[in-house]
Amino acid sequence: MIRLIDAEFIKLLKRQMTRVLLFVLVGILVIMYLLLLAVSKVAPLGGDGRGMGNAENLLGLPVAIPFAFSMLSSLGTVLAVILIGSSVGSEYSWRTVRTMLICSESRARFLGAKLVTAAALIFVGAIIGVATGFIMSLITTALGGYSFDFSFMTSAYIRDQFLQFWRTLFIIMPYVLLGFLFAVVGRSATSGIALGIGVLFLESIITTLMRLAGGWVADVPNYLLAANVRVIAQLNSLPSRVGGGFGGGGFDISTPGVWHAAIVLSLYSLAFLIAAFYLFRKRDVTS
Amino acid sequence: MKTQAITAPVPGSDMGHEIVLRTTGLSKRFGKLEAVKDLNLELRRGEVFGFLGPNGSGKSTTVGMILGLIEPTAGNIELFGLNLRDNLWSVLRRVGAVVEAPAFYPYLSGWDNLEVLATATGGVPKSRIAEVLERVNLKDRASDPYGHYSMGMKQRLGIASTLLRDPELIILDEPANGLDPAGTKEVRDLIAALAREGRTVFLCSHMLHEVEQICHRVAVIKQGAMLTSAPVDELLNRGHMLRIAVADIASAEEVLKKLPWVGSIKREDSYLAVAVPKDRSSQVAEALAEQRIFPSEMISHSLSLENVFLELTGGKSGD
Repeated sequence: MIRLIDAEFIKLLKRQMTRVLLFVLVGILVIMYLLLLAVSKVAPLGGDGRGMGNAENLLGLPVAIPFAFSMLSSLGTVLAVILIGSSVGSEYSWRTVRTMLICSESRARFLGAKLVTAAALIFVGAIIGVATGFIMSLITTALGGYSFDFSFMTSAYIRDQFLQFWRTLFIIMPYVLLGFLFAVVGRSATSGIALGIGVLFLESIITTLMRLAGGWVADVPNYLLAANVRVIAQLNSLPSRVGGGFGGGGFDISTPGVWHAAIVLSLYSLAFLIAAFYLFRKRDVTS
Repeated sequence: MKTQAITAPVPGSDMGHEIVLRTTGLSKRFGKLEAVKDLNLELRRGEVFGFLGPNGSGKSTTVGMILGLIEPTAGNIELFGLNLRDNLWSVLRRVGAVVEAPAFYPYLSGWDNLEVLATATGGVPKSRIAEVLERVNLKDRASDPYGHYSMGMKQRLGIASTLLRDPELIILDEPANGLDPAGTKEVRDLIAALAREGRTVFLCSHMLHEVEQICHRVAVIKQGAMLTSAPVDELLNRGHMLRIAVADIASAEEVLKKLPWVGSIKREDSYLAVAVPKDRSSQVAEALAEQRIFPSEMISHSLSLENVFLELTGGKSGD
């Protein structure tokens, strides 16, 4: 398995797409911070003294890391699905799956190595994303002429951010595994990426519509991904008006509890994982 | 006409009796399509075995089953005397294969592609990568991206990849596809050299002239079913024709019909076209002479493997 993971690292690290995805992540975070700085400069207090105040808040160091996590849970999920979808699906489009399987120790290990490698890169990407958010916060704070105050950096804050880091990875996981499953099912990168991201976006809309429908239908989203992702994402200590990410917000009539959300997301992840491995183990690899 | 290439292995010279690959009653069904039907194959150590058939005849499906990529519907596969199903990953370590066309990562260089395979396989030193690239004449282009390779270079990288693990059995699918005449000769010489080293080569090819020159034995399949499996010489012998000019064609035909080893007999103007093994030509003359029939002309005509193949498969493309 270690050998296969090493081989996967060679493939992914030398692939331009991996660097492009990282560049997009960092680039968008940088642009977001610069936009926030511009907005806070144009109308520092806003009409009612609250709206633009949030933009200013986001530039501040205490909120920088939670805001980066919030960005990661939305943008990061999209990029992570692209990474896993293309990692698995490209093996089919380039027909290298046959070449690799002949020299792999087992099909499960081949697929497992892909998952471990992608997980490692997503982990590193998340760290780079958070670091970018923090550095950009320092830069925009300096550019904006705001004062540097590190008194927020208490052990409780650090512990909270450490937990939030894992929570962010946890809510990315089901979508990544969904993209992984669809890439295996559809034997292509396109199916993994399109369906993985498609569910990410469409489920938010469907969740909102179901909430509006009322009755028992309104409770159905509690057993889907988006609503539960939102519950975990909201544990982030971000000002409520700028809480972001996908999750079909706005109509949470009966928001599930944290444990409920954690269990549902874990069960989905496990189901996607088992289905992908089962299909790949049984399926003929033909052209 | 069969010609013996200088570099071609002499049939039987390096071959042992050890069976490297054996399929028994191998079958594969995709829905209603029976892609492979009750296929029985045997490859002996050191032989170059040609696996022939029109497009869509089940060659790649058979190779896929041998490599564990496709699950057989029925039948059994043994590699090196071990059941494939129970020993898949241990026996595959002893096999090098290119399935259908060479398939590598387009953004990686030739060297990096081999490094990926060597890393995934394990136990392959980097010096081996240089060695195999040298062997297929790709060392100078090793750092170029695979996506920029010509078809011939891709084929050669495919062959290099099969050699990484120093395999006992090499499975090649159309290895000369896209190669120019010089490249084709290089591949032919390489395959012959591999066989001389005691490796067994399973060669799927449409280039029957090449197969005729380098293979010891061939199997021909059509619509998933085996049509014949025989040494190349025997197959060519079977395709041997005699054109006999005699005054009394009807009597000569009656005499020849009684000979058990005579195949088809056709009348062509004043000639009889008789399918007869090459080594029995003199016996044809003897049999006619005994009945006081003296041919004025006997022309020996050997069919090429291509003609034999077309005759066996009905001469229609499988596309």
